[in-house]
Amino acid sequence: MAKTNPPFMSGVPELLLLRLLDQREMYGYELVRSIREATGEAISLGEGVIYPVLHSLERNGALKSRRKPVGGRTRVYYSLTARGRRRLNELSDEWRRIQSGVTSALENPAHAKA
Amino acid sequence: MRKPDFDRIGRRLLRAGIASRTAKRVVRELEEHYDDIVAAGVSDGLPQERAMRLAADALGDMDEFVVAMQSQPELRSWAFRYPRLARVAYPLACLVLLPAYPVMAGMAHAPQIARWGLCLMIAGLVTVSIFAGLRLAILFG
Repeated sequence: MAKTNPPFMSGVPELLLLRLLDQREMYGYELVRSIREATGEAISLGEGVIYPVLHSLERNGALKSRRKPVGGRTRVYYSLTARGRRRLNELSDEWRRIQSGVTSALENPAHAKA
Repeated sequence: MRKPDFDRIGRRLLRAGIASRTAKRVVRELEEHYDDIVAAGVSDGLPQERAMRLAADALGDMDEFVVAMQSQPELRSWAFRYPRLARVAYPLACLVLLPAYPVMAGMAHAPQIARWGLCLMIAGLVTVSIFAGLRLAILFG
């Protein structure tokens, strides 16, 4: 599958990761699969790209992680903190605002030009 | 198809200024992710070789990965984030630690040093008593 156009993706991985982790704790591979399923495969990223975002969110206190043994292996599970939940709300509001603006411009270009 | 060189990716991250602990952890997670994709491919019936190629493609371009890590300032080591401070702090730390090092080494090996000291003292006492005995023998002999 072709990778999603990067200029359109700014901030999207962060929003998706926070949204998915709001439901339950997950590890990297599980998160990538969930993104694919949740977006109907509309968004496909280089899978390694989620780790810089995860680590950055963790460093900023939006996520916390723990090693958990599963099936004879240990995996790093990420979960949302209270700060992460606030960040998710901010990003969701911002995303809805942008989405409604772009939708409005696409549906009524004359209005957008004025 | 060989497994990607994750150690090399780790070294690249360190050279790019990523904090050592973060670099080690992220490389380990990346390797586990790769193993998960390979395992999923093999369990779907793909040959090992094909599953490994698929996993390497899925992880994406490692140059982009290093750039993405580098673009998060909070993931960089403090010496890369504050180079001026590092230039002052490192020489100062050396200045303090170098004279303190022998003392710290002495404290770390205190039992051995005490044993050696005791042995030297006993040897000195034995030598002195032999010489004293000889001297007395010469005087009163």
